[in-house]
Amino acid sequence: MDQKFKKPATKRPVELMAPAGGFDSMMAAIQGGADSIYFGVEQLNMRARASMNFTLDDLEEVARICNENGVRSYLTLNTIIYEHDLSIMRRVVDRVKESGITAIIASDQAVIAYAFRVGVEVHISTQVNITNAETVRFYSTFADVMVLSRELSMVQMKTICDTIKNENITGPSGELVEVEVFAHGALCMAVSGKCYLSLHTQNSSANRGACVQNCRRKYKVIDIEDGHELEIDNEYIMSPEDLCTIDFLDQLLDTGVRVLKIEGRGKGPEYVKTVAQCYREAIDSYFDGTYTKEKGEQWKERMTEVYNRGFWGGYYLGQEMGKWTDQHGSKAKTRKVFLGNGRRYFKNIQVAEFQLETQKVKVGDKLLITGPTTGVVETVVEELHVNDEGKKEMAVKGDTFSIKLDTQIRPSDKLYKLVDAETVEA
Amino acid sequence: MSKITITHQRNKCIGCNYCVEFAPDRWVMSKRDGKATLVGGVNKKGFYTTKVSPIELDENVKAAEACPVKIIKVKEF
Repeated sequence: MDQKFKKPATKRPVELMAPAGGFDSMMAAIQGGADSIYFGVEQLNMRARASMNFTLDDLEEVARICNENGVRSYLTLNTIIYEHDLSIMRRVVDRVKESGITAIIASDQAVIAYAFRVGVEVHISTQVNITNAETVRFYSTFADVMVLSRELSMVQMKTICDTIKNENITGPSGELVEVEVFAHGALCMAVSGKCYLSLHTQNSSANRGACVQNCRRKYKVIDIEDGHELEIDNEYIMSPEDLCTIDFLDQLLDTGVRVLKIEGRGKGPEYVKTVAQCYREAIDSYFDGTYTKEKGEQWKERMTEVYNRGFWGGYYLGQEMGKWTDQHGSKAKTRKVFLGNGRRYFKNIQVAEFQLETQKVKVGDKLLITGPTTGVVETVVEELHVNDEGKKEMAVKGDTFSIKLDTQIRPSDKLYKLVDAETVEA
Repeated sequence: MSKITITHQRNKCIGCNYCVEFAPDRWVMSKRDGKATLVGGVNKKGFYTTKVSPIELDENVKAAEACPVKIIKVKEF
């Protein structure tokens, strides 16, 4: 079937796009209310170093799950493409077409041109760094959806959105080009992927999806000539805080952007579900007229529970200076501690059984279950049955225990305890 | 005379081309899947291994050091 002019189903006025680093995150995105997911395969995506990437053979399964759930699927093929990549790139695009994946997200002209030629829908990725309507017009030959540069202010975004409408800039489908922006997640000091820092230090090119994130470390600035060290009050001089737009989402949507993208293919399923849920609720409240600044702050607070480096509004609010994080890694208020794996689920009595491989579980503990089919489930232990010894207050390492749970779990599921980030001993 | 063994965990290759740059007689980029291929490598559970002469040591050590995902091991024995 020729995809070139096919409009995917389930269009909402604003599309929420969530990251999927694996099947568990994909299910988490769906549970969180995302309209679409984006993911990478093999080595030609910006998370090539990730231990978990989908493979070409997963495409049919991804497409099937997404179609069943009315969610669109986008494959990222957005690294720079060397000569020796051209053949695999074509194979990936061909498989996208065969498998029913909705579109590819690309930046290299070789990919954009080939996908267009064979009739696969293309979205222009953030690596192209679009900052004006003329560039939108240029790429509109090939693509219906384009991500804008993260350094634009909302005033600039609105100008571009208005120009698209006023000058009727349409994509291959004949519809107006849809503008996509990042709404939430990590920002880096460079244009995503357009960075040579880890290439210089470790031969590891971000442009090939192999960023080693050395910008996230502490640095001192020393004048080599006289040894003078600059006095700076924050040593994380290259690591910005995460973008968060939920507390001014009404302004962002007023610009006319059509797709909101959540960053985080390298993050856990609980992050994906929580962030997607918050933005889903925020978008819906914008359209039913109940969005308020106070609600925005509440959603923001909810998102501090999962991975974050602190939040700021990026350059969208027109700030001249970036906000740098003041610590390494996440500022999440909770962290997850691995406990063990799922064993069985007794549907008729709604009981889940787990094998506790480490730590302890007590009544009152908050548990997190993640898995490729299960997605993300959170529960609080109200009653604990340990081994064959009946009801107990606590299970210890090596025990098999069961709890009441109204969601099916599976042997492929991982079990975690959610603890306060400050807790040393779980 | 010492022997050199080169091992490559191919499935983790991200196709950066450095090994080919440093040791072009021992590495080629596959047009099939865009990953590096160890010339003469024998596959055992995803690890491709070959024995080479000491003449090739230096350039393959450089290739191993340059590999961004550290999947090339060069051993001398």
